[in-house]
Amino acid sequence: MTELLIDPDIRVWVFLPIVLITFLVGIVRHYVSILISTQKKAELTQIQDSQAMIRARLLRENGKYLSAQSFSMRKNFFNNEETGYFKTQKRAPVAQNSSAMLTDMVKGNFINVLPMVIIGGWINWMFSGFVTTKVPFPLTLRFKPMLQRGVELASLDAAWVSSASWYFLNVFGLRSIYTLVLGENNHADQTQAQADAMTGAAMTMPQDPKAAFKAEWEALEITEYHSALKNIDADMLSIASASSQ
Amino acid sequence: MSLNYEDMSWSDVRDQFRKWREENGRHSEDVVQLWVAVLEDKLHKTGNERHLILEQVIIAALDTARFDIAAQCTKQLSIEFPGSLRVMKFKAMRYEALEQYEDAEEVLNAIIAKDETNAAPRKRKIAILKACGNRLEAIKELNEYLKKFMSDQEAWHELCSLYLAEAEYGKAAFCMEEVLLHNPHSHLIHQRLAEIRYTMGGVENIETARTYYSQALKLNPQNLRALYGLYLSCSFLANSRAVSSKRKESQKLAQWALEQVSAHTVKLSPIEHNDKLIATLDNAFGSLDIKAN
Repeated sequence: MTELLIDPDIRVWVFLPIVLITFLVGIVRHYVSILISTQKKAELTQIQDSQAMIRARLLRENGKYLSAQSFSMRKNFFNNEETGYFKTQKRAPVAQNSSAMLTDMVKGNFINVLPMVIIGGWINWMFSGFVTTKVPFPLTLRFKPMLQRGVELASLDAAWVSSASWYFLNVFGLRSIYTLVLGENNHADQTQAQADAMTGAAMTMPQDPKAAFKAEWEALEITEYHSALKNIDADMLSIASASSQ
Repeated sequence: MSLNYEDMSWSDVRDQFRKWREENGRHSEDVVQLWVAVLEDKLHKTGNERHLILEQVIIAALDTARFDIAAQCTKQLSIEFPGSLRVMKFKAMRYEALEQYEDAEEVLNAIIAKDETNAAPRKRKIAILKACGNRLEAIKELNEYLKKFMSDQEAWHELCSLYLAEAEYGKAAFCMEEVLLHNPHSHLIHQRLAEIRYTMGGVENIETARTYYSQALKLNPQNLRALYGLYLSCSFLANSRAVSSKRKESQKLAQWALEQVSAHTVKLSPIEHNDKLIATLDNAFGSLDIKAN
């Protein structure tokens, strides 16, 4: 098979522009999302709930350092059938489709999906049909639809990459570069946002406090008191007698 | 610590400031002096850290009553962040330092009205009450605060010292236990809880105190205060009306703790050949003890 020679103009006018465009779009996305995202405002009751949950969790984990009386006093504060904190605090269930959440979703779509569609479509239209580069290892035929989108040539070796595929490779591959340039937790990477959208992680509902309280109540209810300091006196005595001998 | 201001470049000062911030140390006088001597003119070089540095300097300046510096730094911050609640808090703190408590409270109330989830201004209001010497009111307010922000261990700690000042040892012990739940591996908190229990008195409390002193010693065998506390609580228990085997145990533990105390003191004391001095002191205190009994 004769070696394919690519016009150097393709490198200058197709290969590099695609890298540059994807990179710059990512940077712009980062700043736009910072601009239009609103800070989520927590409500006082939400904070109170979460702090109560933390306190109950700490009691479960570290309650063994308290005396039996102190432990049951606190457990009673949370779990008493009539007056316990988790029993008496009634919280309204979180509204599912509040307007704030809707605008959030619209904004998310605006900065995630829209540029992806527009830029992707534009690149497909502008740079369609170029063979841009070659991966430096042989690949099987199965890779052809992945790496040669837009160039349907049966006789072309699978190691060649078409312009449209090169764009997608860039979209997925620039993540670490963004981390380098913009720091951690940047908003430039659309693949992450899309993965979130797929799994529903991007739309995490604020936790239903009622369910959370019930879970914490149950966990605390089955926690039994075991003193961690039960043997400390004996330990101390053995240290003392060991050193006195 | 003495710092040679002439030899420090601005980056040294920045690193020193950073270290103090991370350690939660105030070092107010040093901060102000270094700020005036070195860092003030080089602030623009510190990049994004400059806001943190400015905040640090404001607090240090208020501590040392350098209101000119505090006002100047607050102004710089408020130019960069107009309407920021965090900067407003510093204005309130300036009023506090000037003892204009009504003005300070007005600003703090404005912050709370804008963002009711902000814990800092609420705490500052309690600090004002404390500064006015209105301890009971401060305790009341702090209790209200803790109903909302239950896992604020700083606040629990503060409430503990307020209760201690009011000699409400049982309540103070409760607060200290709450702090202990947050930091179960800090020997100082175990020691403090033991001290409160020991102060409360009674066989049961002193037994608890002994347990916590032991735990503190287990976490840090060098803790002299806990060793001495262990000695005191054990010798109390040895003289109490407990079962004789328990009394013997306590006696033994008290003996051991006392030996450890004197060993540590001999080792750590800056006075050389101090064993005779200590022996004399021991005798003196021994006779005191008998009289007290």
